[in-house]
Amino acid sequence: MAETVSPAAPLRAKWFNGRSSRAREVLIVLEPGPKGPALRLHVLDLAHAASRRFAHDEVEWPPQWSADRAPERLTIALHGHGSIEIDQPQVWQQALAAAGARPGLAQRMQTRWAVLLGVLAVAIIGLVAFYRYGTPWAAAQLSRHVPLEWELGMSQQAMDQIERRWLKPSELPPERQAALRASFDELLRQLDPTLKRYPAYRPRYELLFRRGLGPNAFALPGGTLVMTDELVASAAKAGLSDDALLGVLAHEIGHIEHRHGTRLIVEQGVLNVGLGLALGDVSSVASLASTVLTGLAYRRQHETESDCFALALMTRAQKPTAPMAELLLGLSQEGGAPAPQAHGSTMADWLSTHPATPQRAERLKAGTLCR
Amino acid sequence: MDSRTQRHGIAAYRLRFSGTGGEYFRVWIVNLLLSIVTLGLYTPWARRRTARWFYDHTLIASSPLEFTAPLRKMVFSFILFALLYLAYQIAAETGQDTMVLFFIVAAAALAPYIWGSAMRFRLASTRWRGLQLHFAARWKDVYLASWPIFVMAALWIAISFGLEMLAADLGAPPVRKPRGIQFPVVSLPMWGLIALGVAVSLLCIIRVEFNYKSLLVLRAGIGKQRGRWKPVYSDFVRIWGATIAVLLAGIALILALGAGALYTLQALFSTARGPAMFMLILVTVLFVFLGLVLVSAPARAYREARMFKLIWSNVGLSQIARFKCDLRHWPFVRLRLKNLLLTLLTLGFYRPFARVSEYRMKADSVTLHVKGGLDQLVGDLVKQQEGLGDALADAAGLDIVG
Repeated sequence: MAETVSPAAPLRAKWFNGRSSRAREVLIVLEPGPKGPALRLHVLDLAHAASRRFAHDEVEWPPQWSADRAPERLTIALHGHGSIEIDQPQVWQQALAAAGARPGLAQRMQTRWAVLLGVLAVAIIGLVAFYRYGTPWAAAQLSRHVPLEWELGMSQQAMDQIERRWLKPSELPPERQAALRASFDELLRQLDPTLKRYPAYRPRYELLFRRGLGPNAFALPGGTLVMTDELVASAAKAGLSDDALLGVLAHEIGHIEHRHGTRLIVEQGVLNVGLGLALGDVSSVASLASTVLTGLAYRRQHETESDCFALALMTRAQKPTAPMAELLLGLSQEGGAPAPQAHGSTMADWLSTHPATPQRAERLKAGTLCR
Repeated sequence: MDSRTQRHGIAAYRLRFSGTGGEYFRVWIVNLLLSIVTLGLYTPWARRRTARWFYDHTLIASSPLEFTAPLRKMVFSFILFALLYLAYQIAAETGQDTMVLFFIVAAAALAPYIWGSAMRFRLASTRWRGLQLHFAARWKDVYLASWPIFVMAALWIAISFGLEMLAADLGAPPVRKPRGIQFPVVSLPMWGLIALGVAVSLLCIIRVEFNYKSLLVLRAGIGKQRGRWKPVYSDFVRIWGATIAVLLAGIALILALGAGALYTLQALFSTARGPAMFMLILVTVLFVFLGLVLVSAPARAYREARMFKLIWSNVGLSQIARFKCDLRHWPFVRLRLKNLLLTLLTLGFYRPFARVSEYRMKADSVTLHVKGGLDQLVGDLVKQQEGLGDALADAAGLDIVG
């Protein structure tokens, strides 16, 4: 037996063999090992000397909960060989340190404030980075694999609901609708692969005219666009050309080409699960508030992307972007339209998620939004 | 050391909890931070640390409890649970109603099985003096114990038929309003039928609780010793009845206070007019509303304390040991209210202190009476079961019974 090389003095303890609640007197010795300390157990109150060595991973090492205070008794589980009970926790900690035990991160955080604060800083930075860059990136990549049929099915359901609750058939004259559709198709023809975020993505574009929901336009994943009569009327009232309406449509095409509807679903899912798990233990208010706020930030990101897309598309189609900005400004002065609860995003979101619509409209007009 | 007294060969050991709120706060904040850093993946480790901390500081006859759940199983079951939850979220977000319905029905049908496996895992992960606890109920026992749920379902189907028949007897309602929501006409016998349904359902719910708790104790054991269970169904009904009385008294008290406050305000500020008066009334109404939201808390704490006392005063271990509990319910209700208030004021950061204080009050109220010494328990090391249910049973905390 190699007791002479052991760095720590043997420790008196009680051992329960797992089959009886009777305690046996034992001596334990901690020996340094390659993975961490090993434990040697000598049973004292047996006629013959019984001894067994437990390698590092055969022992359930008790965590240290505090730098200066320990539970009155420590227990060490030996899996199939019962448990050890120690009533000198301080001596145990010293022996453990002498045998070369390296505490894990959780334990160092538990017993040292400096480590805790360090991890706190890392947590804050990591959290911001993950939700600011990681999740949107992952959502954009994942959306690549979502089939178009699935998006169309989802949009059909959403559209049915919106139609039933909020929308009425359009009262625009058919020739006016045809004219707008023609310019819309003209705009789509300008959509070349350099503009597309997902070059392989082929949405089935369809422009619908409806009444209700105030001056509004929205896009559903898969290619359905809806424009309300009220929006057409607002543009006419402000004396703006159809380029204003086309600009808005270009923005909505941007939502479809960037697959914002699908991405938002993925992002929201990650948020609900991730933040729910992480902060749900503090309070549901904290987790809900952070989920909602981050969700809004994602929507703002999407809106900016769509703005930039609209600018690029309109420039390629050699159409002015100023009328679209004028229309936006006019709408923001009238007050935003009510937002429908649908998948996809709406002009109303554009207004409500951006407190600074006038500035953005100004920048759109000047063409300085995207560098 | 232990408050231990001996009489007629029976030794009494007071349970003792030696943890402090400050220390648990550290455990909790470390768990929280690591969970955030790992995007929630740390959860099984966190749960293990929490359980270990509570066990390490819970002394029964001066030997602490040991938590020995195999980490690998906890991680596996957690990942499985997280994937299922994610799938459900995606299905719900994208409006796949059939899928959502499937998830809900499957969860409901599997609930007894999950409960059983969670309890099995939790008990098998608990040791005391090296002896492993175990839960020997088969899944059939658990489903049989769930019979009141099926009674309840059948009852409501019958009631909806009965309501239809009664409605047919009424004949057509005299005048239909052209616009607005049509409320169905409810006659006196219909109200009677609904009240009967609610009352029987309540009795069924109490029966389910009783069945599950008694099954848990009777099929639990340490070594070769099985649990003993004395409470009867009427004990449970009485506690629920008292709880409802506490709830109603709380509601009445809040409403009376609100009315009193309004009256006093009107008398005091009879000169105030317009917006000022409106603000005063608004604030009072808000407080009354908050009070009504919070009023279920004392009732729930009351039920929890009475149930804990009932169970821990009436269970034991074969002929060797029995427990006695002297938890007083009103101090527990006061503690719960204080904790609730401080948790609200600190946006949730008082929660670890709250949890420790309530756990301590409960643990310290229990005494173990043992006949014939602590050394006589014998047992086998039972092989650990699959930990599937444990991820779902986190909310159960450490209060295995009560």
